[in-house]
Amino acid sequence: MTMSDKRKGLVVLEGISKRYKDLLALDNVSFEIEEGEIFGYIGPNGAGKTTTIKIMVGLLSQSQGTLYIGGHPMPEGRGEVHKMLGYLPQDVAFQEWRTVDHALSTFGRLSGLEKNELEHRIKDVLDLVDLSDVRHKKIAELSGGMTQKVGLAQALLHNPELLVLDEPLAGLDPASRYEVKKIIKDLSKRGTTVFFSSHILSDVQDIATKIGILNRGCIMQVGTLDELKSHFPITNDIDIVLSRDSGRWKKLKSLKGVKSLEQPAPNRLLVHLDSEADINKTIHNLIQGLMKLNCRIRSFAPVSPSLDQVYLQYIEGG
Amino acid sequence: MSLSLLFKDELKGFYKSKVMIFLWVGIPLMTVLLRLWSPETGEDIPFTALSAIIVSSIGGTLGAVMLTVSIVNEKTQHVYDLFLIRPIKRRNLIISKFFAVYTCIVIASVLALSLGLAIDYFSMGGPPEVVLENTLGLLALSLSMMVVSSSAGVLIGVAAPSVLVGAILVIYGGNQISALPMLPTMLNISNQVLFTIILGVVLSSILLSTAVFLFNKKQF
Repeated sequence: MTMSDKRKGLVVLEGISKRYKDLLALDNVSFEIEEGEIFGYIGPNGAGKTTTIKIMVGLLSQSQGTLYIGGHPMPEGRGEVHKMLGYLPQDVAFQEWRTVDHALSTFGRLSGLEKNELEHRIKDVLDLVDLSDVRHKKIAELSGGMTQKVGLAQALLHNPELLVLDEPLAGLDPASRYEVKKIIKDLSKRGTTVFFSSHILSDVQDIATKIGILNRGCIMQVGTLDELKSHFPITNDIDIVLSRDSGRWKKLKSLKGVKSLEQPAPNRLLVHLDSEADINKTIHNLIQGLMKLNCRIRSFAPVSPSLDQVYLQYIEGG
Repeated sequence: MSLSLLFKDELKGFYKSKVMIFLWVGIPLMTVLLRLWSPETGEDIPFTALSAIIVSSIGGTLGAVMLTVSIVNEKTQHVYDLFLIRPIKRRNLIISKFFAVYTCIVIASVLALSLGLAIDYFSMGGPPEVVLENTLGLLALSLSMMVVSSSAGVLIGVAAPSVLVGAILVIYGGNQISALPMLPTMLNISNQVLFTIILGVVLSSILLSTAVFLFNKKQF
């Protein structure tokens, strides 16, 4: 039985460390990625995200620890792993003489695609990333965002089981970012496992089914967004949207448990509660108070921390 | 399979980036220009001999510089990353590049020598018999020197951290190493051509094996 069979994960990292002379770039990193998951990997610059990715794809060797992909140990089993892997590096680079078509033909053949299936696969991936009209152009003449998309196309070309993307959304315009996120979600639905790093937390929040936070080479936390949030107390803020604002809500400042009130937008209130307030009781009093003050409530919700807040808690608190 | 694919890919790259044209036209053209602009070489020196001298002196350097610059560039720009994550043998990447460059230089050399023979044929009714006899030996020596300097270019390309360091090392070391196949011609031994070829192949194999070993160990 292979490690992956035992551990269920398609990718299993156990105690991975990487040392460059005096610098410990990764320190005892462990996590698992299951089939079909979209794993978002976040952390500040220099945290070790790219080092982790390069170890995963076999471009670097770990100093310590074990890594299994599809049951194959890395780096020893990289021959097998590379058959199931698609990879987009952070700064994707091609020889300057290559056209989009030529790059995809070469990489497709090297990934094992036969000549007869190559043509329609190139057409499919270029349609997918919306680059069909530049198929015969030199990559060196394309914009940075388009080059990034060619990089994504070469990673998708051979229908890999595991897609490893290093900052795939960096340098893309909003429309392209939306498209790429959609592609990643669709691939995941079809069973492709996706591991991607990003510093755009809203994008990670949008598509990742599991998130890993890395700081100074150490894994701070791994889990779903809800699991990550659950490690912190729910913020003591309440977001209220009013359908009728009498303007008398300022009187609620004197309510027990209320620290302060602010109006970030018309018909909208943000109530900051005392950290030691009885939340249930204070909420009850707030609703009653607003009704008495002739304000009509459209919605009433405790503010959930965003991934940005969770991230900052882990990074700064860590 | 990947070796032949990568070899063809490299050749296509040389064709598209005009490297082939500059080599195949450049080396023969240089022999013509040198002949025309250096009257001191005299009309008594057959063109074939002049071509052989030029080919052996610049062919090897060109090969070594091309390989070193190309490998260091592609290494530092992370061009290899997309190749190395595919199910191919790492060594095929640099071996295919070596063969592609060497093939281009050999063709350029043969073209230059053929041009020399053709010009001698039309201007002198053919090169002197002694030159003709030595042409094969000169060609063998040139190709042996080129194979050694090209292999040295690969090794330097894999080991050098920057293009500048690579270029310096090629000029310092590559050229000197490529002179080693000349040893049999300096020693008074029989079968000099054969020994020259054997020495070239052996030296080249050692240099290439070392380059492959380093490339396989390399962290990208």
